[in-house]
Amino acid sequence: MTRAAWLALGGVVVAALALVPRLARSDSLVNFVFLILLAVTLAQSWNIVAGYAGQVNLGHAAFFGLGALTTRTLWIAGTPVLLAMAAGALVATAFALLIGAVAFRLRGAYFAIGTLALGEILRITVGNVLSEISTLPAATIAGYRLADRYYLALALAVVTMGVVALLAHSRAGLGMQAIREDEEAAEASGASALRLKLLAFSLSTALAGLAGGLFAYYHISYYPSHPFGPHWTFDALLMTFIGGVGTLHGPVLGAVFYVFLKEYLAIRWVDFHLLIFGALFIAIVLLLPGGLVEAAARLRALVRRATGSA
Amino acid sequence: MTSLLQQLVLGLLIGGLYGLAAAGLALVFGVLKVLNVAHGQLIMLGGYGAFWLFALAGLDPFASLALVIPGALLLGVLLYLGLFGWVVRAHEETRVKNSLLIGFGLALALDALAVRLWTADERSITTRYAGSVIDLWGISVPLVRLASLVLAVALIGAVHLFLVRTRWGRAIRATAEDWEAALLTGIDVRRAYLLAFAIGTALAGAAGTLVSVGYSVSPSIGLEWTLKALVVVVLAGLGSMPGTFVGGLVLGLAEALAATIFGGPYREMVGLVLFFVVLVARPQGLFTR
Amino acid sequence: MLEVEGLEASYGPFLVLSGVTLTVRQGEIVALLGPNGSGKTTLIRCIAGLLRPRAGAIRWEGRALGDAPAHTVVERGVAVVPEGRRLFGSMSVEENLALGAFAPRARPGETARLERTYAIFPVLRERRRQLVRALSGGQQQMVAIGRALMADPRLLILDEPSLGLAPRVVESIFGVLGTINRAGVSILLVEQNVHAALGLAHRGYILESGRVATEGEGSALLRDPHVRRAYLGPLAR
Repeated sequence: MTRAAWLALGGVVVAALALVPRLARSDSLVNFVFLILLAVTLAQSWNIVAGYAGQVNLGHAAFFGLGALTTRTLWIAGTPVLLAMAAGALVATAFALLIGAVAFRLRGAYFAIGTLALGEILRITVGNVLSEISTLPAATIAGYRLADRYYLALALAVVTMGVVALLAHSRAGLGMQAIREDEEAAEASGASALRLKLLAFSLSTALAGLAGGLFAYYHISYYPSHPFGPHWTFDALLMTFIGGVGTLHGPVLGAVFYVFLKEYLAIRWVDFHLLIFGALFIAIVLLLPGGLVEAAARLRALVRRATGSA
Repeated sequence: MTSLLQQLVLGLLIGGLYGLAAAGLALVFGVLKVLNVAHGQLIMLGGYGAFWLFALAGLDPFASLALVIPGALLLGVLLYLGLFGWVVRAHEETRVKNSLLIGFGLALALDALAVRLWTADERSITTRYAGSVIDLWGISVPLVRLASLVLAVALIGAVHLFLVRTRWGRAIRATAEDWEAALLTGIDVRRAYLLAFAIGTALAGAAGTLVSVGYSVSPSIGLEWTLKALVVVVLAGLGSMPGTFVGGLVLGLAEALAATIFGGPYREMVGLVLFFVVLVARPQGLFTR
Repeated sequence: MLEVEGLEASYGPFLVLSGVTLTVRQGEIVALLGPNGSGKTTLIRCIAGLLRPRAGAIRWEGRALGDAPAHTVVERGVAVVPEGRRLFGSMSVEENLALGAFAPRARPGETARLERTYAIFPVLRERRRQLVRALSGGQQQMVAIGRALMADPRLLILDEPSLGLAPRVVESIFGVLGTINRAGVSILLVEQNVHAALGLAHRGYILESGRVATEGEGSALLRDPHVRRAYLGPLAR
């Protein structure tokens, strides 16, 4: 499919999604799609570092959390929510740049466990310092409109997809992919590896920070340390890998699949989706590293061969 | 008002379990170059194994080690043959990354399974002697935890002797150092991997049993204990079983110190901060000799 | 006896061996020479089972070699002293030697063989408990050879044993190799030190760019003008 065709399809999908709050009978559908959109943003933002720069960041939740924390604090204090969210993204990115230069000295698995430790440090600190639940003031609750949150989520998801699409085809993006393939070779060929990694990291964390801001805007009450919890990272990781890490559509597929399964199975068995996803994840790492995207491609090839030789 | 010394003693007691937990992880990482981040879940399983043996059959947890350890050995064999044995076919850098991902998937699946089978409730084994306390110069030492420390030392010692004195122990050490040279020497490296992984899992299972009797076990302890083990391994290195064990003791003491100075909630932070600092201070990788 | 026929092997996209044929007959010492990058070590790795060749055959005592897992090569009676020695530095001399006898074929008579190894390399007996990484280059080479001998091999393969060693040490080690050979062990010797190697070997092959360029009796090769010019330098007489 050509670029134009994809854009057209994307436009149709977005338009359809935009109609959901208007046409939905109940809030539960809107909430459901909201969760999918949030998941798409979270997964796609994680994909930038993992898929394009080749590093597994297990501290993604830290940036999600920082965005949430900043946004919540500023917004409750009276800042317009969009500004608060922008500030959240800024804080997340600032922190990323702060630790990035240091963290990227770690290779592979060490970067992964190092960022995990960082995420946990933040979670514990916030949990200790802000141990009380954060609840919106009554006036805000009274004026709460789900549609606002929904459209913001839609906009954020579209922006995220746009960023990743542009990145994939940009010179920076290609440089990043070179790093993902072979760090030493890429370094030798002049792509300043660290700068590209930091760029990827900044974009990734900024988007995660915005997603966190969205979280803060959406939920009426939650514990401040909750968005710092590692399961946000793990969710993003699962969605991206299962969908197809390093692809544009992978995280979307993964996010939709994931949220569907999670919400559907939550009725009977709360964490069952994790058992399935855990097993699926292992299967994908071992057998089908390209995830669902690769599976779809292989299926298409199979069909083409079957019908072609008919 | 508990004294610093009291806290340090308690820290030492849990440090022994940190060391035991870390030893299993270190053995697997050192020999297979595989980072099994589901190690904490193996500890959890060991804990549940002991708990149910106690709850259903009335088996004393220290005695149930005689069942948990072989069971964990078997589990290790199965996990290696079914999962990690495939990871070791890749070369080292891919290995670590793949094992991280696979361990992650395994951890998630095991956590979800545990919640389903046993609910999210915390379980603890309370034997008749559970509350007994020994008084050593004004410091109360819970008997159960002291016994656990002794057992941990014994287990570490046993594995250490195995590695140093037996043929296969030497073969495992050789494989850890240079697997190609080990092959050239006639060592079946795959079997060495299998053995090391099984022993690592057995150590995890044993640690879990001791955790369930001295502390508590729930489906959420997996990640917690994996991190503890990782911290100790990063701090102490992979050099030797006793060395890793001492690293565990040090972490326990450091945590006790941090809790006393900064307050309880910051106990967890010490390890993580040290971990990150050490990791970054040695960017060439954790255990290049 | 070892037969290599038309062996082709690559490292990734690079074809390193493009059709190598050589033999090592019972009781012989065969030297394998050639410049850096000619594929000597690659050939050894194929024989040792560490690298799967693209084409060709390797036969040892009539049966195919190289398809089975690498650790079974020792069991067949072929022991390799790898380039750079590849000892287990964190373990003692005695532990390294003991590991040499790991394979089942080497277990009976292990203690006696250890004694014989110490007899061949007396300095190792003095240092049996020392960590191998604390030894000198020459002593390490002795441990490496000793470790291979502990497997009771019928064929001993050495990859550049003289690397980094002083001439006198090289001389003494090559003397030992001669003794080992006279005791019935065939030897395939990969070497950069052409003079010493051809002085010891019965026959030699010269590998260039992945194939055998020259072969012949040891003494004949020493006199060959091309060999002399290419490998023995301007001072060769």
